[in-house]
Amino acid sequence: MSNVSADLIWEVSRLQNAFLVKRNSYGVQFSKDPLNLTNVHSRKFAGFINDKAVGVVASEKGGVEVISKKVSAANKPASGRISTVYGANKGTRKTYKGIANSVAKNGYRPDLLPFAVARASAIRKSQKPVKPSPASKPRSKRQIAAAAKAE
Amino acid sequence: MASRPTVTVLGADGKATGATEVLPKVFGAPIRPDIVKHVHTGMAKNKRQPYSVSEKAGHQTSAESWGTGRAVARIPRVSGGGTHRAGQAAFGNMCRSGRMFAPTKIWRKWHVKVNQGQKRFATASALAASAVAPLLMARGHQVATVPEVPLVIDSAAFEGAAKTTGALGLLKAVGAGADVEKVKASKKLRAGKGKLRGRRHRQRRGPLVVYSAEADGKDLVKGFRNIPGVETCPVDALNLLQLAPGGHLGRFIVWTSSAIKQLDTVYESKKGFSLPSNVVAQADLTRLINSTEVQSVLRAPKGEAKTKRGGVQKKNPLKNKQVQLRLNPYAKAFLKEKLGEIKETEKPVRVPANFTALHLEA
Repeated sequence: MSNVSADLIWEVSRLQNAFLVKRNSYGVQFSKDPLNLTNVHSRKFAGFINDKAVGVVASEKGGVEVISKKVSAANKPASGRISTVYGANKGTRKTYKGIANSVAKNGYRPDLLPFAVARASAIRKSQKPVKPSPASKPRSKRQIAAAAKAE
Repeated sequence: MASRPTVTVLGADGKATGATEVLPKVFGAPIRPDIVKHVHTGMAKNKRQPYSVSEKAGHQTSAESWGTGRAVARIPRVSGGGTHRAGQAAFGNMCRSGRMFAPTKIWRKWHVKVNQGQKRFATASALAASAVAPLLMARGHQVATVPEVPLVIDSAAFEGAAKTTGALGLLKAVGAGADVEKVKASKKLRAGKGKLRGRRHRQRRGPLVVYSAEADGKDLVKGFRNIPGVETCPVDALNLLQLAPGGHLGRFIVWTSSAIKQLDTVYESKKGFSLPSNVVAQADLTRLINSTEVQSVLRAPKGEAKTKRGGVQKKNPLKNKQVQLRLNPYAKAFLKEKLGEIKETEKPVRVPANFTALHLEA
């Protein structure tokens, strides 16, 4: 309909929406929108508002899932999403290349490319097993004595 | 006018029946949160019941002031003796068991008159907003599984909806199950005294089922009324409090096909009211800016393309050679020729003896 546009929806839902998180008193506002790459409440990153938006979420079986919106299906929520999974075994470079191709190369949302790659990178890093930290060496006299006694 | 947009009609299984309905004109009404908010604020006040403290509260004693001279405050004091109450201050709002400050009265202005034209405008606006998927999401409705917004279901599919099992099954089949689940999970005990006053729980609002009382009958109301959060409304009595709960636009509405068919006639039958029209025909700012009409009358930008360096550290041109060259292109030649290092070879010549005289003469 010609009475609606992303700009209008933003003005309507800027001050209050279901994704908005205003929790602290010092002004920063976050968003819980899955189509928001930085989780910051802003016009550029508000995925549910923009006709074209990109989201990167952790895939169930490891790896990342890139979701984007179909412009032609703005009012068809069930069929209006495109999702691509880059599995845990997919190489880093191939994953980022794939994201770059789908986000920016075809002129979809080139402004979101660095944020999409950064988010994918952060998700992949979080999925890696945590390296066990080495056991602390006994240093003080008391600790050394206790360690010797234990042996 | 170009062909009006249509909306697909879903069957009982949630699949498109193949039939379509022309989208009623109301859905092209301007979306005005300011008007909806204002009208909602007024309308929400019209169901209130008067309350007040008892007229007698705090005044059921024969207290009188002791006057001056007894080294106590001049507040009225309870007369008599033989009880602790005697001599205590009374009446004042600062007194124990005194009257409250400005006791509430039942003749407070409880109700607000809202102009009918404004109410109709707000209703039309709320209906238009209910056809915008992002606004539904912004309101918090779980519409990710809904095939299309506005969601229109064939009236024939509502036959089984006279029973709650059938009604719930229908909602689940058309992808509205997630929104009902959300409502179910949201039921919380209310904070505060409301618990004792018939408002024990609070929960979200789910889908609103709009039906045509003539074509669909009222049986479906009984089927839907026990599903948490789901409300029903006949199409000829749409209510802003249901269309925009809390004054927030974008209620998730499930239409029966006969209701959406009837919607245009409902608005045509409203005497003296024509649907509000949009102030701008095109609400998309980017498209407006990039349109040929705007671009063709724009002047070319003045001056050269220059990046403004804002918020960068100032560099010292005497120490930073690149910055020096930007300010003083001659510095390159000056350095290359080593002009700064050339020593004076000739000795300075003394001025002639008559220089001062000549200088002063001129």
